[in-house]
Amino acid sequence: MRQHAAFRPWESEAPAQTRKQRIDETARPGPRPPSTTTRRAIVASLILLASAPAVFAGPRVDVVVADDAPKLEKFAAAELAAQLKRLFDADVRVAAKVPAAAGNLILIGSPATNPAIARAIGANWPKLSDQGHLLKSVGDAGALIVGGASPVATLWAVYELGHRYGIRYLLHGDYYPAQPAKFKLDSFDLVFEPELRLRAWRTINDFAIGPESWGLADQKKMLHQLAKLKFNRVVLAVYPWQPFVHYEFRGVKKQTGMLWYGQRYPVAGDTPGRDAFGGATEFDNPDFAGKRTYEERLKAGVTLASGIIDAAHELGMSAALAMSPLEFPKEFAKVLPGAKVLHTLENLVIGPGDRQPPDDPLLKQLTATQIRAYLDTYPRLDALYLTMPEFPDWVEHHEKAWHRLDARTGIGKHTDLATLIDAARKRKLTASGERGIRALKGNIAALDFLHGLMPDGAPLKRRGSQLDVTILDVDPALYPVLDKVLPSGTEALHFVDYTARRVAEQRSLLAAVPAKAVKSSLILTLADDNVGVLPQLATNHLHELVTEIRKLGWQGFSTRYWIPGDLEASVFYLARAGFDGRITPKSAYHELFAPMCGPGAVPALAKGFAMIEEATTLIDRNDLGFTFPVPGMVMRHYDAKSPPPAWWKKVSDLYGSAMDEIYRAQQRAHPQARPLTLYHAKRCEFAIHYIACLEAVRRAGLARDKKDRDGQVEHLESAVEAMHNALSTLGEVARDQSDRGVIAVVNAHGYRPLRAELDRLRK
Amino acid sequence: MSRSWLMTLSMLIFVAVARGEDWPQFRGVNGSGVSGSRSLPVHFSHKDKVLWQIKLGEGVSSPIVAGGRVFTTEMTPSQRFVVSCHEAASGKEMWRRELDMGPLPRITQPNSHASCTPATDGKRVYVHFSAVGLLAFDATSGAEVWRHPLPKPAYLMHWGASSSPIVHRDMVIFVMDDDLLPYVIAVDAATGKHRWKTLRPDMLAGYALPVMCEANGRTDLVVAGTGRLIGYDPSNGKELWTCKSLPRINMTSPVVKDGVVYVAVQSYGDPSRTLKFALLEWLDTNQDGKLARAEVPEEFRKKFDLSDRNKDGFLTGEEIDTAFQHPSNMVGGGSIIQAIKGGGHGDVTRTHLLWNRDKKIFPSNMSSPLVLGNRLYVVKKGGIGSCFDTATGKGMWEKKRIDNLGEYYASPVAADGKIYVAGQNGFVVVLADGPNQKTLARNDMGGRQIIATPAIADGRLFIRTADTLFCISNEAK
Repeated sequence: MRQHAAFRPWESEAPAQTRKQRIDETARPGPRPPSTTTRRAIVASLILLASAPAVFAGPRVDVVVADDAPKLEKFAAAELAAQLKRLFDADVRVAAKVPAAAGNLILIGSPATNPAIARAIGANWPKLSDQGHLLKSVGDAGALIVGGASPVATLWAVYELGHRYGIRYLLHGDYYPAQPAKFKLDSFDLVFEPELRLRAWRTINDFAIGPESWGLADQKKMLHQLAKLKFNRVVLAVYPWQPFVHYEFRGVKKQTGMLWYGQRYPVAGDTPGRDAFGGATEFDNPDFAGKRTYEERLKAGVTLASGIIDAAHELGMSAALAMSPLEFPKEFAKVLPGAKVLHTLENLVIGPGDRQPPDDPLLKQLTATQIRAYLDTYPRLDALYLTMPEFPDWVEHHEKAWHRLDARTGIGKHTDLATLIDAARKRKLTASGERGIRALKGNIAALDFLHGLMPDGAPLKRRGSQLDVTILDVDPALYPVLDKVLPSGTEALHFVDYTARRVAEQRSLLAAVPAKAVKSSLILTLADDNVGVLPQLATNHLHELVTEIRKLGWQGFSTRYWIPGDLEASVFYLARAGFDGRITPKSAYHELFAPMCGPGAVPALAKGFAMIEEATTLIDRNDLGFTFPVPGMVMRHYDAKSPPPAWWKKVSDLYGSAMDEIYRAQQRAHPQARPLTLYHAKRCEFAIHYIACLEAVRRAGLARDKKDRDGQVEHLESAVEAMHNALSTLGEVARDQSDRGVIAVVNAHGYRPLRAELDRLRK
Repeated sequence: MSRSWLMTLSMLIFVAVARGEDWPQFRGVNGSGVSGSRSLPVHFSHKDKVLWQIKLGEGVSSPIVAGGRVFTTEMTPSQRFVVSCHEAASGKEMWRRELDMGPLPRITQPNSHASCTPATDGKRVYVHFSAVGLLAFDATSGAEVWRHPLPKPAYLMHWGASSSPIVHRDMVIFVMDDDLLPYVIAVDAATGKHRWKTLRPDMLAGYALPVMCEANGRTDLVVAGTGRLIGYDPSNGKELWTCKSLPRINMTSPVVKDGVVYVAVQSYGDPSRTLKFALLEWLDTNQDGKLARAEVPEEFRKKFDLSDRNKDGFLTGEEIDTAFQHPSNMVGGGSIIQAIKGGGHGDVTRTHLLWNRDKKIFPSNMSSPLVLGNRLYVVKKGGIGSCFDTATGKGMWEKKRIDNLGEYYASPVAADGKIYVAGQNGFVVVLADGPNQKTLARNDMGGRQIIATPAIADGRLFIRTADTLFCISNEAK
């Protein structure tokens, strides 16, 4: 046996020590007990017996992380120990130094943070970026370095090792394989560098179907999973009417602080799917439950947002806040004469009107006050995203704004306003034609305003730390001159259009962005709120976009979604594609589901997901707002004056076929994966019932128009029943606040209005 | 007082308290769903007319009541099986037995490992647990009296076990219709010792409760299963008669009144839909029109190998037809409501089928029929109810909404001229027993789903939701 002669450089760290010695020392923690106190000795012995190490069926593993290692590296060691225990029933011991006679040894960190790694690898430590990490076997006696160039990279290395052993990290938790890969520490020689350096996850946002309804406990769980998937930024997208900041301006105090545009969602009584609420009578974000005053909600909001920021930092992620600097709660109309009420649900927001030109000092002061309030409230933010208005009505001053921009930046040498307007008109985006022109003009005015706001940087200055600023939603017509129109030092996050498909089909626009001059990233819409509450997938379009931005040298992406339950496959793809350009949706699905479900289930699952993706595309092409979660989402079809369009049936058939495929996969899936496959199957079933409801509503409307009262009632009965079935189906598998949000919202805006109409007719 | 004296006293009290209003098994006496209780509330809720309520773990079994005690089963969060006893008047816990049943088999929601409704003869409580077999507990102390191991049931579609035992004289009778080795068995109620076992090789998975039918001077054990309603001699398990009029899947239970057995069931698909079609729809993962060995659950691989006559590793065409469904019983789906006269001999299909409705009817695939007087009631998904004349099968009212949508797993129960129908959505609808459809109330039990069939005893209604057992009574203040 050559084992004793093996290269074991770490052994020089600790004196030779027998196993018996170690046990003996363990038995005497702290000062030696008084020899005369026999009783205490017996008690101590009993305690020791009780706390004796458990019997492990798996291997003994020594994990070494330096005493003075960064907190994240120690956390990484603890995570690794927990994973190995669960995977292999391993006897894992975490120590600061390499124990003598260590068998299976894992070294955590880098040469800079762990002397044992420095000794083990010496000059062979590869050159890594700050996000680079590795799994590298060293010596010939089964030691493995799990490390990275930064503490968070080391944490990712640990999670990567878990992935290699078969763990799959999903948004809703970890799936451990029924049969883990063989435990081994040798023959690893893997280095991971990001292909997309920024992998951001957006949260809070708007609507009860989205993370706006998630409390801090759920947000933390989600962040933990995202860290395992190597996301490195969380973006808190907030709106002016929400309770996440307070400010006062010229005697007016912010008084609007609500969730979900102020909508409330009772779930008592006749609420199909209400089992999912565990007996609650009203759906709420748990952190806001029972908090009715502005002050109470503000406090809850700040606690939630601060908690997300802190939790992200603890996991090595940066935290950004995305806000609309030019939008304010409606009470500030008093101090902004001529301000416009913006087109939003419940008309809660105002923005600048034609009496506020971009160089208006009053507007500048109010904006600065708002930004300052956010930065003061959240001093630990790493980045601020300034969102251009989604529905820019601020077009009156665009010409003057253009001239000022030209004077500041010399943009007129590169293009002219007429050319840009022509581009905005002709492009094939949702914002094209007149809407496109308005969007561009509003954008120009807003950019001029931001230049005016930011020259001295005062609103964005902070004591003691750097704040990165990103401009969000610059109009695509301005992409070719992006480096000219953005304030100096800012980065850009591009929206382009509502769905991944729409952006993918216009991805040639992305090539115009001067990505070397302006750090750019792309909003990847995993699922769109306009497409709505039905299951959505867009992995193949996301793949096209990821491939494109990788090719163009962009920084990365930021997600956009509302219901995360449908998105496990897409998110897994993104997580892997962020570090490996060879990943495709097909390979990602196999990598994700083969260990979870067994290879026999993967083809059926992939087929099912492809059908959901096809359904998503059909909806997106035909009716972008098909199931947008707002009042009237169902009853608008009552007044549609036309029968259900043919594409609805196609969509319903696709969901039906997807459901069948997923149920087939479910038959073969390993036990631990079945809740996930069942969830996807039930989401498809939800969609089938939902569309059946809409079809019946349309027919009821037509019967009403023909004064066929019996037909009207009959179709309405069918509609009510179909929606009841849809919601009950979802209630059976609802697993997070977004799912419950869907049930609450569709009850409020779909089921109850239908029921009320039916009851009215029956009377 | 000596312990033996106390035991004697408690037994005397038990016997004294035990009355005809007990609900000693699934759906009460002989699975009828009918109680002689009076003065039951019409209007109630999770807050109103609640005499008591207790939290229960996950489970879909029904409570049973005997001698002033309620017996329930449940699973703990750590997946241990619990049998417990509570005082019916107060909800006070009398005893609780928590058991580790070892590795649990696969099941499909909303089934549960605690799905078997126990049965009692007042002395012991009998329950089936799929991973173990039959178990008996002392009704007074909760002590385990015996175990009778049984083969672990297996289901092609992974439904899982959900059958319940009954007590007949000094025997516990249990039907286990799974897809692998279906049988009916009788064991000694006092000792758990084997009395008789009759294989039912031509059956597929089903959950019908066995019922006793007194007719023609005999008391027969009657079991509904794949394609057939079969009468057995309860003393030895010998088959006495068969009525070949049922569809393939029977998840509902028949009910007996005045020597007539009433069956109402929906079995998925039309009469041509034999098991083969379901297998090719759901187990043929890659949809290549044949079944690979890996596509069949592990427990069925031996059967697979026997049927794979050309040994190519696939079941195709005729090989699939008879691989799991018995060649002598190739029935398909369909919906039927039938009345079959008991007490026959041999094949009674032509002689004892009193009436058969199999068109434009709406029985449930889960919720069993209820017979009250001369009326047979059924309720199915969507809250669609129908009522038939038991003498003729003629509809009294058909396909009427009972004002509560959703799925129905629980079967209707009745007492005091009122029919209680528990919907999965957590509402309990009260219908008036009568020739016209009349909904008396729709009672909200708080939002948790109801799968278990309620129980009625001593003027109390016992309703199990997903997490709570409610005792509803006019005694409540």
